[in-house]
Amino acid sequence: MTVSSRSKWILPVLAVCLLIILASILFGAQSLNMAQAWHEWRTHTPLSEAPTLSILLNQRLPRTLAALLAGAGLALAGCAFQALLRNPLAEPYTLGVASAGALGTWLSFILVDVGWFFGLSLRLPTAQICAFAFAGAEVLLVYGLASRKRRMAPSVLLLAGVTMGMLGNSGIMFTRYLAAPERLVMMDRWLMGGVDVLGYRPVITLFIGVVPCAAILIAQAAKFDQFGFNAELAAGRGIHLGRLQVTTFFVGSLMTAIIVSVVGPIGFVGLVIPHSVRMITGSRHRLLMPLSLIVGGAFLCACDIAARKILPGETPIGIITTLIGGPFFLYLLIRRKFTDWDV
Amino acid sequence: MYTLNAESLNFAYEPGSDVLRGVNASVIGGRITGLVGPNGSGKSTLLRLLCGFLQPNSGTVKLDGRPLVSLSAAERARTLAFLPQMVDPVFSLTVFEVVCLGRYPYTGMIGSLRSHDLEVVARCLQDTETEPLRHREFGSLSGGERQRVLLASILAQEPKLMLLDEPTSSLDIHHEVEVFELLARLARQGYGIAVVTHDLNLAAQYCEELLLLSADHSVLASGKPEEVFTEALLSTAYAASIRVGKHPFTGAPFVAAQSTRETPP
Ligand SMILES: Nc1ncnc2c1ncn2[C@@H]1O[C@H](COP(=O)(O)OP(=O)(O)O)[C@@H](O)[C@H]1O
Ligand SMILES: [Mg+2]
Repeated sequence: MTVSSRSKWILPVLAVCLLIILASILFGAQSLNMAQAWHEWRTHTPLSEAPTLSILLNQRLPRTLAALLAGAGLALAGCAFQALLRNPLAEPYTLGVASAGALGTWLSFILVDVGWFFGLSLRLPTAQICAFAFAGAEVLLVYGLASRKRRMAPSVLLLAGVTMGMLGNSGIMFTRYLAAPERLVMMDRWLMGGVDVLGYRPVITLFIGVVPCAAILIAQAAKFDQFGFNAELAAGRGIHLGRLQVTTFFVGSLMTAIIVSVVGPIGFVGLVIPHSVRMITGSRHRLLMPLSLIVGGAFLCACDIAARKILPGETPIGIITTLIGGPFFLYLLIRRKFTDWDV
Repeated sequence: MYTLNAESLNFAYEPGSDVLRGVNASVIGGRITGLVGPNGSGKSTLLRLLCGFLQPNSGTVKLDGRPLVSLSAAERARTLAFLPQMVDPVFSLTVFEVVCLGRYPYTGMIGSLRSHDLEVVARCLQDTETEPLRHREFGSLSGGERQRVLLASILAQEPKLMLLDEPTSSLDIHHEVEVFELLARLARQGYGIAVVTHDLNLAAQYCEELLLLSADHSVLASGKPEEVFTEALLSTAYAASIRVGKHPFTGAPFVAAQSTRETPP
């Protein structure tokens, strides 16, 4: 199929995304009466006396926005890492960036519990700073390990990433006993991933983290096209590879870290979305990246609806994305349609 | 006319094992320069130095008298194009998209093509006879088809000088001759071309200048085909017994390896 014949799917996909987003606002643990909410809105009822509107504005809407922002950012980070590392299986989770960010966030929780942290008195976003410190360091380490040989071996990259992910998880387990017991439940819940945020503070954090980073990454789209095709041709056309690497690693890990610090390590969005979107857009990043952004957001909304609805109570969203993404990852591994996989 | 001049280049990837020793080379507008030599003699490395990807340990590369390093990346990309020996795309692109990639130095950040860019792309597809492939996926092409598409994408860059690393290594004889004819046409229009090739006979026929690198990584001979393609020089360079005659139709040197089983006449 040629790209132009596939691109007719773009509009229907966008429509489905929109429906999912609406559904995510409408459906939840309690079914809301929209007419009631509208009435409360129209009559300017104070929120404390408008239960329906209050749920809508203080729970459903922030939750949907959080899912949108987190999903969009993770999908976009996947696109960027895949192009930069020339590896179709790279994404924040398989590269271990997400786990490193999680370890950083976890340690920041613990440091706060132990009462050590200077950031607390300065009112710095402690969790985000710690998450980025770890995620950034992890990306550099994995990249350094994998590019020590003359050619950066894709399999080495992934093995290093997965190993770093395991180390990050062990670090979390290792420091559990330092956490204040009464906070452990909250921390465990965060660790499984969830967009069940309350109020708008987390949404604002996500917004500040995701929007500028996404804009910077999308601005590299033409460079990703060139670099994904061939590094030497890209260099010959005037692309400074070092600069592209620094920008993408910095911005990609920063965005991942901020997302993880708010919604926990949610895996495989960055893998499932770019691969699925490529089927309708082809591999030109200036189409692929914006559409991945939207589809990624809607995907996480859909997973969140499932998290609310499938089982009684709430299923952690990270478990749902892994249930979808894990088999998808295996399918990509088995299919092995990668030209430079067998290095 | 643009001229790229390299003087006494020395280069080693790892200290102690030289890959180029005291190499002089030039790529001149209006001319095809052939780079020949045995595998591993440093031809690809020389091209990488000529286009500024690698910096020589000593020696200079100058474009019209200006050191190559003093040019901006965009300026360099519009003057010099480099076609690598192997291309290994990770994502699938169509032939048309691959050729459009060549317009990068002329487009803004978004990379959207204007009608002039599309005209150039269409012409490059025509020139390399890849127009019928335009909707095919690059990864599904044969080796020879890929090489022609890559050449089209280099042409779309509209460089003044082209450095081509084995652009005809997997082409059939028809397309190989077509590519050399295209290069000759481009040279007549003023393009300067350096081409690495293992087809010595086509090199002798189409190149005004030849540079013969030897296995010890230095230039064994350079000059007109008649001066470089002598039995003595070629036999030394390739460590094989090589005979040189005259091409029956063009009169250019005609090179053949001699089997050890044959007795020379
Ligand atoms: N990136 C590299 N790092 C280290 N050594 C290299 C690299 N590329 C090529 N070489 C070595 O340099 C020598 C010349 O290689 P090359 O320029 O590719 O030769 P040619 O193109 O003439 O076959 C070879 O011995 C090769 O092994
Ligand atoms: Mg070579």
